[in-house]
Amino acid sequence: MKIAVCIKRTPDSESRFKIGGNGSAIDETGLKFDMDDFAGYAIEVALQLNEKQGPGESVVFAVGPDSVQETLRKAMSMGVDRAVHLKVDGPVFDGVAVSKALAAELKSGGFDLILFGKYAFDTSASIVGTATAELLGLPCVTAASKLEIASGRGTARREIEGAGEIVEFPLPAVVTIDEGIARPRYPSLKGIMAAKKKPLETKPAQLGPVRVQVKAMELPPERPAGKIVGQGAAAVPELVRLLQNEAKVL
Amino acid sequence: MPNVLVFAESRGTDIRKVGLEAVTAARALADAVGGEVHALVGGPPGIAGKAAALGQYGADAVFVCENAAFAHYARETIAATIAERAKSYRAVVLPFSATGRDLGPRLAAKLDAPIAADIVSLSASGDTITVKHPGYANKVIVTLAVTGPLAVLSLRPSAFTPKEAPRTPRTESITASAATERVAVKEVLEGARGKLDLGEAPVIVSGGRGLRAPENFKLVEDLAAAFGNAAVGATRAVTDEGWRPVSDQIGQTGRQVSPQLYVAVGISGAIQHLAGMRTAKTIVAINKDPEAPIFKVADYGVVGDVFEVVPALTDAVREAKKGH
Amino acid sequence: MKAENVVFLFVVVVAAGFFALNVQRLVEYMRLGKPENRTDHALRRTGNVLGIGIAQTKMLREPIAGLMHATIFWGFIVLTAGTIELLISGVFRGFSYQKFLPDVLYKGYEVSQDTFAVLVLGAVAFAYFRRLVLHPRRLEGDNIGHSDAYIILGLIGALMLTYLLAGGFLSAAQPAAIQPARFASRAVGTGFASLSPGTAWMGYRVNWWLHALVVLGFLNYLPYSKHLHVVSSLFNVYFSNTTWKGDRAVMRPMDLEADVETFGASDIEDLTWKNLLDGYSCTECGRCTAACPANITGKPLSPRKIVVNVRQRVMEKGPAVTGDRMEFLRPMFVASEEDKGAGSRSPRTPEQVLEHRLLDQYISEEELWACTSCRACLQECPVSIDQLDVINEMRRYLVLSESRFPAEIQPAFESLERNGSPWAFAQADRAKWAAGMNIPTMADLHARNERPDVLFWVGCMGSFDDRAKKITVAFARILQACGIRFAILGQEEHCHGDPARRMGNEYLYQMLAKDTIDTLNKYQVPTIVTSCPHCFHQIGNEFPQLGGHYEVIHHSTYIDRLLSESRVPLQSDEGKRLTVAYHDSCYLGRYNDVYDAPRDTIRRALPVVNLVEPPRSRDRGLCCGAGGGRMFMEERTGKRINVERVDELVSTGADTIAVACPFCMTMMNDGTKARGSDVQVLDIAEVVADRLAPRV
Repeated sequence: MKIAVCIKRTPDSESRFKIGGNGSAIDETGLKFDMDDFAGYAIEVALQLNEKQGPGESVVFAVGPDSVQETLRKAMSMGVDRAVHLKVDGPVFDGVAVSKALAAELKSGGFDLILFGKYAFDTSASIVGTATAELLGLPCVTAASKLEIASGRGTARREIEGAGEIVEFPLPAVVTIDEGIARPRYPSLKGIMAAKKKPLETKPAQLGPVRVQVKAMELPPERPAGKIVGQGAAAVPELVRLLQNEAKVL
Repeated sequence: MPNVLVFAESRGTDIRKVGLEAVTAARALADAVGGEVHALVGGPPGIAGKAAALGQYGADAVFVCENAAFAHYARETIAATIAERAKSYRAVVLPFSATGRDLGPRLAAKLDAPIAADIVSLSASGDTITVKHPGYANKVIVTLAVTGPLAVLSLRPSAFTPKEAPRTPRTESITASAATERVAVKEVLEGARGKLDLGEAPVIVSGGRGLRAPENFKLVEDLAAAFGNAAVGATRAVTDEGWRPVSDQIGQTGRQVSPQLYVAVGISGAIQHLAGMRTAKTIVAINKDPEAPIFKVADYGVVGDVFEVVPALTDAVREAKKGH
Repeated sequence: MKAENVVFLFVVVVAAGFFALNVQRLVEYMRLGKPENRTDHALRRTGNVLGIGIAQTKMLREPIAGLMHATIFWGFIVLTAGTIELLISGVFRGFSYQKFLPDVLYKGYEVSQDTFAVLVLGAVAFAYFRRLVLHPRRLEGDNIGHSDAYIILGLIGALMLTYLLAGGFLSAAQPAAIQPARFASRAVGTGFASLSPGTAWMGYRVNWWLHALVVLGFLNYLPYSKHLHVVSSLFNVYFSNTTWKGDRAVMRPMDLEADVETFGASDIEDLTWKNLLDGYSCTECGRCTAACPANITGKPLSPRKIVVNVRQRVMEKGPAVTGDRMEFLRPMFVASEEDKGAGSRSPRTPEQVLEHRLLDQYISEEELWACTSCRACLQECPVSIDQLDVINEMRRYLVLSESRFPAEIQPAFESLERNGSPWAFAQADRAKWAAGMNIPTMADLHARNERPDVLFWVGCMGSFDDRAKKITVAFARILQACGIRFAILGQEEHCHGDPARRMGNEYLYQMLAKDTIDTLNKYQVPTIVTSCPHCFHQIGNEFPQLGGHYEVIHHSTYIDRLLSESRVPLQSDEGKRLTVAYHDSCYLGRYNDVYDAPRDTIRRALPVVNLVEPPRSRDRGLCCGAGGGRMFMEERTGKRINVERVDELVSTGADTIAVACPFCMTMMNDGTKARGSDVQVLDIAEVVADRLAPRV
């Protein structure tokens, strides 16, 4: 099978964020960037499918600044065959623009399957996978937590608000990948060395007009320090009140 | 006229709360740009009866599309139906629910419109709609300016509160646009609710060595059952002792989870455990040792005997859930 | 020359030639291993041969079995002189040392021969008794049989008997030929007094020949036996690197830029010739396995099996790749190893032999990951075998070449990469423990153009683990109370990569280590103190491989020094009368020979303390179970190591377990909790901090 995986490079989710000088970007000093978690799951799925199904090709795509090449190399060190870097200057929050750039590139690729993470940590918007599918006119399954391919058809399990559903679809198709589907493999040093020799192609991203722009970024109010609600069962009514009214989780 | 089209999401023949939230947000937006709110409802036969209720929240017009195919989310038909009507609107508003996550980008692509997703507030001026959206997994609030004649906006559930703005809507029955559903739903696993996966569950109740014996995990299971949408987790000490299966283990060497609510029962909070659950949105800890490290990461702590606190909490949660 | 002499000469030449061929073959196999320089430090190496080899110091760590072995060994050396005399006299009739030696010396020589013949005979008898009646546990397991040992012991016994019988018969035939100095031979001779001189002479010749033939047979049996160690172990001790203070205990440097196909070891060619010599030198005594914390608690690892597997694989693959010209020379079996091993001894085609490898076919992944890197095996080995080196190289292969490792350590690798600590905590929180303590960072001091006396390297456990943070604070309080000008790196500190290195991820290790060295060099860091033995070992002993040279002092040594200089303001009373069992950290003890400082620290801080020792302590101490990256892995097989250790510490009657390592702290704490024990676990820094006089 010929599989495309579209990935993203995002800051580590454990980071403590600061807002940068002009107030419309995060301060990147000291932040560690790496392959987005969900992109990692998607790559693992692609690699496993090709391992199971015999000869195939996997190609990784990313829209991003030059630093994304490091992440593309990482994908290749995991086992992806080649990479395409669609170059932009900074983070793009216009999901449709990113989708257009990807769709223009994927259109003629002849891929049987195009995978995305269901969501990326930075934009946290779940747009690009589905919009790309729509632009390519392909069927799209979002948030797949299981994926099987057999004789030109796919079967996926999706988790939707507490319940699950099993869906079937024809190939070619776009699938966005949820967590829990597969743990991304850890690249071996052998893989890292091999990745240095694999082809990485760079070209400008065809974004089109960018119609969603960051005006400002701010940090949410500090999470209040934890508190001891009380002692023993007597504390339960107050705890429940806080869960309902303050934390709003009940 | 700069009208706003809102997708009033339904389940079965009921309008969902997130659908009403979307109508309220659409109303505010329409008022700001000086237009009407047109709601679109798609559902199985019988949904038409609920349409008028949308007027209660500010819909000037309601398009009702009754179709047996809409018993479940028919992604391509709904998208085509909305897209066909949306071209002349100022904005399409929908919830950022499981359905809306899928539907929003489809509409944006079909309409070649910009989209802002998972937004918590919005305002409009001129050809710019300004929204706030929690990015970076809620760690940064991003303000986005969306430009152009038509925008797709999806709303974070519960960020907007349904507000009454009663009027009597015009109601129009529409037929679904023709589209091939290439993705076929083969099976809906409602039954799986009882056994939520740790990675999926919005609530996790987790037990540690403080429970003292495997049979006492009943307390944890009962509390999870009271929440209804909770999975049961455990610490390494507990899975090592064989009280719970290894698959239940949360921590550095087990599952790493970030649910909305994490209730730690009789867990002291060893580094290995904290590494797996620290990112939960709200953490509740119940432990008899006030010095236990778990209280350092907990939002709410109760110092006390788990055998006394947990049953009381179970009852209280059950009671609170009943009121919903 | 008589016909008999010619026949004898022929026999000797054939036997010696056969032996030489075997030695040549074994050396050829050994050269399949990678080259490595082991000829430096000739003086130290010679010292090791004299101490560990000749004086049998490590053998004697077990007094009874040790003395038994030492008797046979020393007997061998002494009796070899006699054997040479005998072999020469077989060719040149009438040859005797008497012709060259002064009378006194020759008498001494004669006494020594008879004395050791008797002693060795006794030792052989005891050895049989041990194996047949006592059945020591360490001699069992790993599919190891006793037949080889019985054959060897039989041959040794036969040598002694034929020697004494020959002497006895000769003394009966020609009383003047056997002087009183050969007391045992003469005593045997009295038993033959009634024989005619002719018969006695016949008896002498028969036993003389038997003795000579057994000597030559023994020589040629060795290459087919685990008792090859008779030949190889002194060489092995000479070439070993396992016993030097200072540069011992470091993992092999590794060149990641090298243009190689694979990294680490999956078969014998990836090991060095010394690893293979280790295989030749193992007698399967099981001292290593008996001391192995993983093995003791029921894990699949046995260090002895690792070494035996190396030898088995050499014997299997050696002939196939060196093109063994003399098929009959190939040992079809190593007598001690019975044909029960998993797939290891079944006959195979040469193709299969080459397809197979040491990893998987002989040594499983599970065995390799069970190791806590505690060095107890190396410590116990009487012939200085390095079992850990093989394990480390094979772990490197698993991770670097095949990315195969227990799934649960992947988060540790990823977090090390992203967050600079094996646990996914925000780097921004690293120095949170120091809030309000008024401790400057190196950056603070640098900005003020100042330099501290010491840098306190806190470590990841000490920065993030709630329990370990208390140790960190206690140590910082001691430093402050003593007026030490110290600083921390704060958020500029991150893991030096040791856990990654121990888990085989050399690539990640070198990345982190080089980065740390850059930071330390930037500030021209003076002396470093740390409360973590793993940091202590890594920065002090292994950073030099990457060009980082620093003086690193563990907090036990540092506090002990401050106490001995009376610089620590202690309360004037005697403190609590605690009964304390100190648990030795492997990376402090066996890795760095720090045994007394933590104990002395406790004694100095608590004058009335009752310090008790469990049976396994100091260089025999049992690991807590967290070393070698085990901290980040599951332990689901057998008894938990920390529980085993807590059990033995608690059984000393102690009310307090003292540790000097944050990893040990976690393991001991978990162990006492698992046992529901109320014994408290304290770091030595906490013991001292608790005794600080209140500030005036």
